[in-house]
Amino acid sequence: MMEIINSKHWIEWLLIVAKFAFAFVPVLFILLLIPMERRGAGFIQDRQGPNRSYFWLPYFGRIRLFGWVQNACDGLKLFTKEIYAPNGVNKILFALAPAIPFVIVLISPCVIPWFAPMVFTMGDQVVRVSGNTVDSEVGILLLFGLSSLSAYGAVLAGWASKSKYSLLGGLRTSAMTISYEVCLGLSIMGMLLMVGSFRIDDIIAWQEAHVWGIVAQPIAFFCFLISMIAETGRAPFDVAEGEPELVAGFHTEYGAMQFGLFYMGEYSHIGINSILVACLFLGGYSVPFFSQTTIQANMGYSLAVLCGVFILLILTFLHMIYRYSRWYKTSAATNKTVILREYSLYKLLGWVAIPALAIIGVASALFIHPEFTLVDGKAVYGLGIAFGTALIQILVLLVKACFFCFVWIWVRWTLPRFRYDHVMNLGWKVILNIALVNLVITAVVAKLVLGGN
Amino acid sequence: MVRQIKQTPMNWVERLYIFEAFRGLFTTLKHFLRGLFRYETLPTVPYPEIKPEIPRDYRAKHRLMLRPDGTPRCVACFMCATACPAHCIYIEAAPSVDGRIEKRAVRFDIDHLVCVFCGLCVEACPVDAIRMDTQDTSYVHRNREDFITPMYDLTAWDPKQYPQNDTQSQVAPGGSKNQQALEAWGLKVH
Repeated sequence: MMEIINSKHWIEWLLIVAKFAFAFVPVLFILLLIPMERRGAGFIQDRQGPNRSYFWLPYFGRIRLFGWVQNACDGLKLFTKEIYAPNGVNKILFALAPAIPFVIVLISPCVIPWFAPMVFTMGDQVVRVSGNTVDSEVGILLLFGLSSLSAYGAVLAGWASKSKYSLLGGLRTSAMTISYEVCLGLSIMGMLLMVGSFRIDDIIAWQEAHVWGIVAQPIAFFCFLISMIAETGRAPFDVAEGEPELVAGFHTEYGAMQFGLFYMGEYSHIGINSILVACLFLGGYSVPFFSQTTIQANMGYSLAVLCGVFILLILTFLHMIYRYSRWYKTSAATNKTVILREYSLYKLLGWVAIPALAIIGVASALFIHPEFTLVDGKAVYGLGIAFGTALIQILVLLVKACFFCFVWIWVRWTLPRFRYDHVMNLGWKVILNIALVNLVITAVVAKLVLGGN
Repeated sequence: MVRQIKQTPMNWVERLYIFEAFRGLFTTLKHFLRGLFRYETLPTVPYPEIKPEIPRDYRAKHRLMLRPDGTPRCVACFMCATACPAHCIYIEAAPSVDGRIEKRAVRFDIDHLVCVFCGLCVEACPVDAIRMDTQDTSYVHRNREDFITPMYDLTAWDPKQYPQNDTQSQVAPGGSKNQQALEAWGLKVH
């Protein structure tokens, strides 16, 4: 036992344990996705979306946070409702089913690399910490396997509910998940063929060295994205819970937080899938136009640029706030003073954050001079530089993932739901064939041009 | 007249669906960006704080028009109560104090819970005494009795909130044409 513990530096153990916290990132995506979905849907349909919930702060009064408080209200409502099971359901499975998608969501991000493997010197030792919790050889297959398990939640819920609507919803979910798993796996094959590894780290490293997957494999990207949307069971592929035919599909009989678990499982699943698409086709954690060595060698300037980006975002936000304030002052609204008082909080926070970030940025540009030691001809930096690199890479990955989260919502509120047979036709007769042809062409081109073996 | 809408069959590009889907995505993106960056131009309004603009000819809460001296124009002819399909108007008549006018209403109640806002009372009135142009669409009370609107409520309107070219409103006390109209009206009735 002691040999295993002693085989690694203590900082490595610490980081390995700390990396388990990344399991909660997809759950945190719910906080982003619910306001994005509800207000985004509002904007797409030319309405306001839910923006009226607020909490109260002493001087500033009602703080609405542009609808962000709605999360807390939704959650509170679901938590305080009565948990109810209809007569004659299979009690154990009925209670177990909602937990399955949510548990899967906590497990499956273990193979996602959040940052490039950290290599740093600690004392006289060189420590290497991988960016994912489980550094598996079959990373992407493991992720596919785990995320397809979430269909069990829907199937068990449908069967245990003792309702025909639920059963049909569960059946549809199982059929659709199986069909689109095939497309999902095959559409990614071309990419894997070029990279030659199932490890997501390697896929991202290949993209960093060559081009982004979306440029190398655009057709595979579209097939993959469509299959992903179908796999999460969201519009236009939400036949499993099609309201006109099946009331609410597999979660018809569920209420309160049991329904909430399905709901959160679905949203976290979107979060995981967005991160996965970003990893496979958008370069993952790699910063566009800058290699990792450049960033590490100029860590001070990199952090300064990061602060600059944040300042720019805050300035944009403040511009929006000032524009709204001006509009409210001239409008006929009867709660002008309340809203202007609320906006004064945002202005205060913004104008405090900008100088703080500016000072941090300038200080890091002036005072951070990374020192390196050469190990096998490569420059290896200290712990601080490694943390800075990881921070930048995580942020880049999350920004890319957020873009795909928006794509999910955007597609949902644009396209009408497909009929069930259309979904099956699209899966088996169109996307599968396109993916296969793409795989063959990629294989031939890879053999001829890249000269693989 | 029959209007014929010609449905042209989809061409092969449209039947592929994917390009049309992208067109749809572009449309929704435009709307989304408008909501995000030009939030104040959204056609919906945050209701309780900003009231929507209600046109003058919208059939809203009733009001009783006033003569220049402040008495209601109503001559208690019961035409509105007769025309009313919901029977929500209750009038009690009395002899008028003004010698030129035969009758006046001492009670004029409209039960707004029974009223169907058809506007037939306005059409029926021979002396333009009742109108529905207050733009007041939401009035709430604690109990049912309060919805029976009596005469003092129906006549409590401010001429300043009505347009200048609305002569009938402006001759009422407080209106811009009241002084002029009082001179023409002549007799002071007390």
